[in-house]
Amino acid sequence: MALIQLQGITKYYEMGFQVVKALDGINIDVFRNDYLAFIGSSGSGKSTMLNILGCLDKPTKGQYHLNGTNVENLDQNELSEIRNKEIGFIFQSFNLLPRANALGNVMQPLIYRNIGIRQRKEIAIEALERVGLADRMDHLPNQLSGGQRQRVAIARALVTHPSILLADEPTGNLDSRTTIEIMQLFDELHAEGHTLIVVTHEDEIAHHCHRIIEMKDGKIFNDRAVEKGTAELTS
Amino acid sequence: MFFALFESSRSALMSIFAHRLRSFLTTLGIIIGVASVIAVVSVTQGMSAFIGDTFASLGTNSLTIQSYTPFEDQMKGIRARLTPEDLELIEQRAEGIASITPILYANRSSQVKYGSQTAFSQIMGTTYAYQDVSQSYTQEGRFLAQSDNTTRRRIAIIGEDVRENLSLPENPINEYFELGGEWFKIVGLLEPRGDIMGMSQDDIVLVPYSTMVSIQGNQARTDIQIQLSLSESAEVEDVSSQLTNLLRNAHDLSSDEDDDFRIQTAEQLMEEFNQIIGMVTIVIGGIVGISLLVGGIGIMNIMLVSVTERTREIGICKAIGAKRHHILMQFLIEALLLSLLGGMIGLAAGFGLGTLIATSIPGFPPAAIPFWSIALALGFSGFVGVLFGILPAAKAANLDPIDALRYE
Repeated sequence: MALIQLQGITKYYEMGFQVVKALDGINIDVFRNDYLAFIGSSGSGKSTMLNILGCLDKPTKGQYHLNGTNVENLDQNELSEIRNKEIGFIFQSFNLLPRANALGNVMQPLIYRNIGIRQRKEIAIEALERVGLADRMDHLPNQLSGGQRQRVAIARALVTHPSILLADEPTGNLDSRTTIEIMQLFDELHAEGHTLIVVTHEDEIAHHCHRIIEMKDGKIFNDRAVEKGTAELTS
Repeated sequence: MFFALFESSRSALMSIFAHRLRSFLTTLGIIIGVASVIAVVSVTQGMSAFIGDTFASLGTNSLTIQSYTPFEDQMKGIRARLTPEDLELIEQRAEGIASITPILYANRSSQVKYGSQTAFSQIMGTTYAYQDVSQSYTQEGRFLAQSDNTTRRRIAIIGEDVRENLSLPENPINEYFELGGEWFKIVGLLEPRGDIMGMSQDDIVLVPYSTMVSIQGNQARTDIQIQLSLSESAEVEDVSSQLTNLLRNAHDLSSDEDDDFRIQTAEQLMEEFNQIIGMVTIVIGGIVGISLLVGGIGIMNIMLVSVTERTREIGICKAIGAKRHHILMQFLIEALLLSLLGGMIGLAAGFGLGTLIATSIPGFPPAAIPFWSIALALGFSGFVGVLFGILPAAKAANLDPIDALRYE
């Protein structure tokens, strides 16, 4: 059974008297250990897609099953719980808590699971070690480089052992060298069995993935598997 | 529940200490409010405790009778009086009285002189019974004797302050001093009694009652005070209604006329004092309550700013799994802790201020903080914190995660 099942997902926004169709009847199945990229120009609906996949927003119409749960009828608190359990967010602007150090940031999602401080610390240190930041645990976000910040964010996403990792332009604020490092980390995580969904407008990033869904005007324009080794040629 | 509370408190404390100056300024309103409440309460309570002690030492079973003229009658030139005849009547007819003494206050100059020193003092003509009634005893020499009265001796018992003011020797017994142009021999020095409400109880000169009468001359206009102490089995109410009847008859008052005298017990006096103090406390407390309200609004204001400022943080927390109550609790507890901290600082500052006031005014009783005022101050500031924290906290908790994350 698919990890994510989207059936006829439609999202309308009302902008004054105009109704904008951000998503228009999307049907997608995502399976465990998929490595998937959503690409498209701005306004194609990929951000809305990410918000709905991340249970931050609800579709106007359609059904979304995440790991067997129908998300449709959940209230805000239940959605929070789903986000905490099932989803690890990685944002373009890192979105770390500015007043908490790296360790504190990684521990934060565990607070909402009522895990005691000692255990929280243990799990968070493990996650930070995984992304190679064991020696930067007590640094505040503004004392870290962009790449390090994104690693903290990845550790924070990993720490809850979510079903999917959801990355929104994860390298958008990084230089090319750091971008390669982060994408390598993503590849490794995929190899370890994580399910990754990346939203990006950069083909280079998308071609790390094994499946690319191209969006246009709120619809799926193209959904293709990437043949490794030939990916670089087709772009 | 406990877990969430603990975690919220921790992050609230972190956020309070991250902006130390701002937190301090935010809670300044509460600090000032609580400090003023505590200062006022500690001073008045200190006073009240002291007055209670003082009156207890005066003896609660003593009564004072004074003449009383309503203000309206005073304007017409009418003066009610208590006369030596009234005293005699009470001595003969009233029951339940252990000892009774007249007090005649000097109505002319109460200047006293010794050598080159002059001073003013309260001069009272009374009898040996004054000792029992007012429970004041001599540390040196003797008290007034019955024979002093009958022979109108020119002798005096003085208080400690009078001795100091006149630069009399440590033991002033057998010294002569001048009182209203007459020479008096000092036969006794009273034990010091301290102050009531900043008024010295030791600045008095006691002379025999008949001596005082003879100095005053004009006996027709004599208006005396009568002090008496009750025998152990007597009830204050019984004796005082008995006295009222006696005096009303003696003064030929018809039933529609008011008493032209007042019977006061030490307890009554104490109650009156305490009433005044209670009023002062309530009035000032009310004014200060307003300042706490203003302090609360200050907290609300800053909390609202803080919510706006941290919109993005709230969005992040919600994205990674914070529920409404997590966010609500965090901001509510932050407001609560802010105002409680303010309350505690205010408590310390108020006590300091009260002590400073009490010690800087000479003769003022030491400040005292009753437990209820601590509980009230902290309880009220906590209440203010929760009351004014709810709105910002609810605002934070209801933020939409997408909008909050997008907020710049």
